[in-house]
Amino acid sequence: MHALIQGVILGILTGGVYALMASGQTLIFGIMKVINLAQGAMVILAAYLAYQLFTSLGLDPFLAIPVTTVLMFGLGVAVQVLFLRPLRREDSKELSLLVTFAVALLIEGAISVTWKTTYRSINTGYANGSWTLFGYQITVVRFWAFALSLVALGLLYLLLYRTRFGRAVRATVQNPQAAQLLGVEPRRVSALGFGLGAATAAAAGSVYGLLYPFNSGSHYDLISRLLSIVVLGGLGSVGGAVIAAVIVSTSSAIVASTISPTWSEMTFFVILILVLLVRPQGLFGTVGRGAV
Amino acid sequence: MAEHNRLRHGRLRRGVLAAGALPLVVMLAACGSNANSGGSANTKGPLVIGASISLTGDLADSGKAVKAGYELWAKTINAKGGLLGRQVQIKVVDDASSTTQVVTNYQNLINKDKADLVFGPFSSLLTIPSSQVAKRYGYAFLEPAGGGPAVFAQKLSNLFFVQPAPVVKSGEVFADWVLSLPAAARPKTAAYAELDDPFATPIAENIRARFEAAGISTVYKQVYPAETQDFSPIIAKVVAARPDVLVSGTQNEDAYNQVKSLVQLKYNPKFVFMSNGANSPAEFPTKVGAANTAGIVSPGDWFPGSTATGSAEFTANYLKAYGGTEDTIDNTSAEAYAVGQVLEAVAKQTGKVDNATIISTLHHGSWPTLLGNLSWDANGAPNGSFSLIQWQGGKLVPIYPSTVAKATAVYPKPNWGS
Repeated sequence: MHALIQGVILGILTGGVYALMASGQTLIFGIMKVINLAQGAMVILAAYLAYQLFTSLGLDPFLAIPVTTVLMFGLGVAVQVLFLRPLRREDSKELSLLVTFAVALLIEGAISVTWKTTYRSINTGYANGSWTLFGYQITVVRFWAFALSLVALGLLYLLLYRTRFGRAVRATVQNPQAAQLLGVEPRRVSALGFGLGAATAAAAGSVYGLLYPFNSGSHYDLISRLLSIVVLGGLGSVGGAVIAAVIVSTSSAIVASTISPTWSEMTFFVILILVLLVRPQGLFGTVGRGAV
Repeated sequence: MAEHNRLRHGRLRRGVLAAGALPLVVMLAACGSNANSGGSANTKGPLVIGASISLTGDLADSGKAVKAGYELWAKTINAKGGLLGRQVQIKVVDDASSTTQVVTNYQNLINKDKADLVFGPFSSLLTIPSSQVAKRYGYAFLEPAGGGPAVFAQKLSNLFFVQPAPVVKSGEVFADWVLSLPAAARPKTAAYAELDDPFATPIAENIRARFEAAGISTVYKQVYPAETQDFSPIIAKVVAARPDVLVSGTQNEDAYNQVKSLVQLKYNPKFVFMSNGANSPAEFPTKVGAANTAGIVSPGDWFPGSTATGSAEFTANYLKAYGGTEDTIDNTSAEAYAVGQVLEAVAKQTGKVDNATIISTLHHGSWPTLLGNLSWDANGAPNGSFSLIQWQGGKLVPIYPSTVAKATAVYPKPNWGS
């Protein structure tokens, strides 16, 4: 029982990290109807950037986040402008799957060349620390990662609901044509929106690098989890992604603890299929249009 | 020991390729039945040794370490006047980590380039199809990195795996050591956390069989899939079972993850054995933090400061040629270097270096290398055992058996972070 509760505690905290990654993914889908298969690769790239800043300059991975956020935002905008904007055909949404997958492979290749394929890990003094609370261990990094996720998601909320840009994004999500008629520039919103989605990968990358060893191939495992979280939460719903992330990581911790870790990876997909059978639009998705 | 560390992604794809490559090998080999069993008859010119190595693709990092080892040995022997008076020339071709390309490469090295001898590639995956090619042409196949059960299941008489023991037996030395301890100091209970992998699970399972037979009870056992990323649920169960010894059948990042989780959950078993991942002098401390390495034991063949035959010369020449410190030498390079040493020993004993002589000679006797003295059974599986190495003061030191030990074993394991 102790092991189960311990697993659940860490599962909830880990959920926060996944929420951070998935919120960017679902935002990009909400705005552009693009399923960004490069989101996992962007998280790993951000982890490498944080690793590099830590090993060369001694910059703490949490303090590196503003730097990597700017870099990842720039990368996101560049990817949208260079690779996604030129897709003007009717099947551009389907093509964008291929394009973002190509971007993922490109990032993976660039990482392999720059940092080789050996595993890396960011080892700060507190990386393996934990606090004991009623006999349970609360790991330092996961706790701060969870807190950081809440802050980042809060900022994202403020940006979407309290700024002109946010209103333009939400308008584009709900009805692109009407938004355009009302003067929203969809090209600009798309580029900035994609940049914003990529920027969430920066914070997630720092945290990921502190939690797990990673190499250039780590994004494959990541993207399958992110996709199931995003679909479970309802495509385009940031709030849904957060709740789905916590459900997914907690349930897999419970399964790993009570049944077997072999089944825990599958838990994701079992929950996903069950939810989709009952609610095809996901937990918080709406039928026919996106929701933020 | 570094074998198959980097095979995580695309393992299935390559498995399929490997299965497809075998009939091709047989077919191609059948076309060339006029086998040139003795290599080139030319005994005046340089001795050409061909090797297909993964310089690109998933296995490239380890492949380059193999290349460094082969070339370093050639340079060392050439500086001493060559092998039996002939300068050694290593002809390296890239197989891009592909099971089909490796077959083509050895076909070409033997038929087109008329290499006198061939050395093996990196990984069991590539060793299996290429050793079949060598067999067909009567070439000896000395290889540093194909130690999986499937390699020896081929029952090839021309193959020799140049490491102390087959990979799956690398944990035996840990069981030997633990069972050699005074009864009061021995662990009473054991937990096993094993990666579902042909190179990891059997190592831990062999230890479990020995321990259970000796009365060390199993309080927890879990096999986990390669995709497992979050080890806290598994380690939380280990912690709940409170074992004296944790036997981890690990490869790389799972070893790092297990240690991180143990530290975070504040549980310090009296003994921690990891089959792989913890035996890399440069990588392991940077992943888990140097202070968390103390007391962890692992199997090893070559290690910095080894006093085995030619080790000091290897270390000095390696640092001269490639730079770095002795802690950053990849033991895959040492294993590749040992392949050359075996050949050198054959030349010294028989005065010949033709394939037939190598094959017939190596099935008997014991052969000194920087990995220790090696000997082989009829299928090319080495008869020896690994050494047990332990992290002490931030360095890996051999602690068992006494013939190689350079430090006294530390047990129970010091606490994390000490």
